[in-house]
Amino acid sequence: MEREGDSRRISETLRQAGLESAVSRRGFLQITTGTLAGLAAMRALAAAGEPAPLIIMAEATGMIIADPARCVGCQRCELACTEFNDGRSQPSMARIKVSRNLNYGPGGALAMSGQGLWGNSLVIQDTCKQCAHPVPCATTCPQDAIVVDRKTKARVVDAGKCVGCRLCQKACPWDMMSFDEEAEKATKCFLCNGSPKCVESCPADALHFVPWRNVAATAPRRTAPFAVIPAAKAATCITCHQ
Amino acid sequence: MASKLGGWAGEVLRVDLSTGRITRENTFERYGDVLGGTGIGYKVLWDEVPAGTDAFDPANKLIFGVGVLAGTGVPCNGRTAITTIFPTVWPKHLVGSGHMGGQFAARLKYAGFDAIIVEGQADHPVWLHVKDGTAVLRDARSLWGQGIRQATLGITQEIGEDSAVAAIGQAGENRVPMAVVMNSLSHSAGGVGGVMGAKNLKAIAVQGRGAVRIAGDKGEWEKLVKLHLTLLGANNQHVVPSFPTPQSEYYNPSSRWIGAPGKRWGAAPQGVALGSDIHSLNKIAYRTNNAVYFLGDSVWKYTVRGNGCSGCPIRCHTILKVPSVAAKYGINEVGQNTCAGLMFGRQFFKELVGVKNNDAAIEAAMIGMHLADDLGVWCNYMQVQRDFIKLYYNGTIKAKLGADEYKSIAWDKYEKGDPSFLFDLLPRIAHKRGELGTALGLGTGAHLQRWGIPETDWTDDHSTYYWKMGHPKHHANEDDGQCGVIINTQYNRDAQCHSHCNFVRSGLPIEVQKKIVAGLWGSPDGVDAIGDYRPMNVYKARRAKWSVIRKELHDSMSICNWMGPWIASPLKERGYGGDDTIESKYYSLAVGRQTSREELDRIGERIFTLHRALTIRDMNEVDMRGKHDTVPGWVYKDKKDLPAFSKGTIRMDRDDIAKGMDLFYAEMKWDQKTGAPTAKAYEDLGLKQVAQELRKKNLVGKA
Repeated sequence: MEREGDSRRISETLRQAGLESAVSRRGFLQITTGTLAGLAAMRALAAAGEPAPLIIMAEATGMIIADPARCVGCQRCELACTEFNDGRSQPSMARIKVSRNLNYGPGGALAMSGQGLWGNSLVIQDTCKQCAHPVPCATTCPQDAIVVDRKTKARVVDAGKCVGCRLCQKACPWDMMSFDEEAEKATKCFLCNGSPKCVESCPADALHFVPWRNVAATAPRRTAPFAVIPAAKAATCITCHQ
Repeated sequence: MASKLGGWAGEVLRVDLSTGRITRENTFERYGDVLGGTGIGYKVLWDEVPAGTDAFDPANKLIFGVGVLAGTGVPCNGRTAITTIFPTVWPKHLVGSGHMGGQFAARLKYAGFDAIIVEGQADHPVWLHVKDGTAVLRDARSLWGQGIRQATLGITQEIGEDSAVAAIGQAGENRVPMAVVMNSLSHSAGGVGGVMGAKNLKAIAVQGRGAVRIAGDKGEWEKLVKLHLTLLGANNQHVVPSFPTPQSEYYNPSSRWIGAPGKRWGAAPQGVALGSDIHSLNKIAYRTNNAVYFLGDSVWKYTVRGNGCSGCPIRCHTILKVPSVAAKYGINEVGQNTCAGLMFGRQFFKELVGVKNNDAAIEAAMIGMHLADDLGVWCNYMQVQRDFIKLYYNGTIKAKLGADEYKSIAWDKYEKGDPSFLFDLLPRIAHKRGELGTALGLGTGAHLQRWGIPETDWTDDHSTYYWKMGHPKHHANEDDGQCGVIINTQYNRDAQCHSHCNFVRSGLPIEVQKKIVAGLWGSPDGVDAIGDYRPMNVYKARRAKWSVIRKELHDSMSICNWMGPWIASPLKERGYGGDDTIESKYYSLAVGRQTSREELDRIGERIFTLHRALTIRDMNEVDMRGKHDTVPGWVYKDKKDLPAFSKGTIRMDRDDIAKGMDLFYAEMKWDQKTGAPTAKAYEDLGLKQVAQELRKKNLVGKA
């Protein structure tokens, strides 16, 4: 049970750690001395010059959702993504992913799920969920290179910090991370500063940019993720989660 | 393996099936002057395949060529041209190309190549696996004998879903001239399947993680693509809707823009209502429904969605779900194709030809797609169906088949229009079964010859739509008077040119068309209303030249000539005009080299002239005018004997057409007498060596 005096001190500590949103929406968390110790550890780290690990708490304000019933498999969304953002057409790097599901559905040719052009013609478009906390790709990143976009709160790769280790690619349960082989950096859907180019380019009204909601809980996983969380970051989980 | 070039992937793959040797060439160094697609095809045939080579001879080559825009976000890219010595050209095999859409072109570029040259002949069935800059030949003995679908599935299961597979079916394996190569389930290239089969090549699979680089400023590129999207109409660049609407000043009932508000993709999950803003760039894919256009309004309820080539918003293929065919015939209830592919099955039955909203017709269409797109049987732009009907009902089939074979065929089913008849007929063609199967698979020219039927029986009969050299008309005077006739004289198979008819069938009133034509070619007289033709003039000749040159340009850049060029648009604020420079603008930005419309058209002219040179050389004939550029007799007739140049007839006049050819040859700077390019015409286009070789054989036009 938290006591009033504690809650003010806790709020202040959390605010300093950039974690104030953890209590702003869902009411007070159960805070114990262990938590306070964890917070103290973080402040000690900060005092020693180590930056506090980035834990994304903010939720994205928007997301792209896709209607498979309307998708006509043209792949203009993938093409717009890399062509307009990167100056080259490279579906293997597209941050919305359609061509991998085009012919046989998300399971591929060995699953015979009955979807895709060769089945019932349904094309499932894979979009980044802009995950809520814990953000798998961001949490895994040892460089804290996946950050929150100021405007859209999209989870974006800061190319300046990314070292190309690819751990984020392994962490995403939906295999949505892309990798720019030329720059040797990860890249992902960043919602194009609030005007997603894929949505703009869809000729079948199959993509929409809508207010964010948490779809991660219900979206079927595409892959078994392998998330390696850096030890320093993992230690801070105890801050809020007892 | 990112390419440093803009547009081009950078390399051409060369596969010698006889030796198994695989090599590569630098695209730009070797083929930059002919761009890609058919350009590379014609150049390889000129340089490497001797005149007189038979289509199925190992010395023939098969060139899968794409263009600088393939794999990009340019609307209406995605075409692969397959150029070869074409097996249905009659009486002598000559240069021709088949074209296929789907995913192949884009994925070939991502695999790192602009073209694949297939040479020689393997000593056992093989398939070619191209991936990320490398290529290997694989044993295809376990795939041989299978249909296109099973072969494609088997390969894909092995190499992954990011691949595109171009495969032949049993028809191609059996060297049936009327055979296709198919990729992405419904996208076929006509006539070239047998050449692939003769080489023992079952399939080519392409995949890769590469990129197509845009050399120019990406912001400019994005602006250009978005401009282009505003200029798009529906399929075949029909720019006004087929239905009256306050959203459009004009409408035209024969337009392919049929996606009216209120229509639904009835077989989509929960149904998809098309919505109300017909010009929305987010609803371009709703404008076209070719299944409904050809099979009738009742097909909306069977429509799942549109489909088509990678990158194209038009979706000229329609995916249909017709549960009754699964129940009745045990075939997949889902089928898909466009135009002739959609109608393939229906067109065999006399009482079902062109029939809409008819269950038997729809079922026949579904069965046709199911069979033909797996066996890999071609229709030659529906010529084989017309031949079949004529030969059955005039008693020829009965006369030519032995009594036993004739009795073995369920003709009662055929006469009743029972679609199940196709289950017997189409495999006969694919497997050369009996006299009927063998003859139908030859192509019209060789078929008529085999049965001792004079070609004039076809050229005098309008109902055959036959033009020359074994192939039918393909948008001739029924669409575009003299311009259409001239275009149809220029090729060895059917012309496959849509530059002209996209425009005249765009749905715009003739006054608007005339204004656009005046702006481009100097006079409103360059176009007439359909079926209300006026005598020939130089402006029509210019438009005919533009039509064929742009077609070759498109076929060399991977632009779809069934949509481009874009000289008309739905935009009232532009006077319904489009942008005739859009191809050159794309080329300039993609490649990174400023190239004007005129400069690019010059390259198109070079490519088209190379096709001419090949034809002349391989026919060993300089008199193109007399021996090649011919017009069938039915063009000069009218059922009601209405005179030429009166309203209500498409009848042409011989002297007027002769004048038309004069004017066209003059525009091309070819010899008036023979229609053969002069030495200067070749040299002005950078084809000096071509001129020299032809001069040695006295095959150059006189200045």
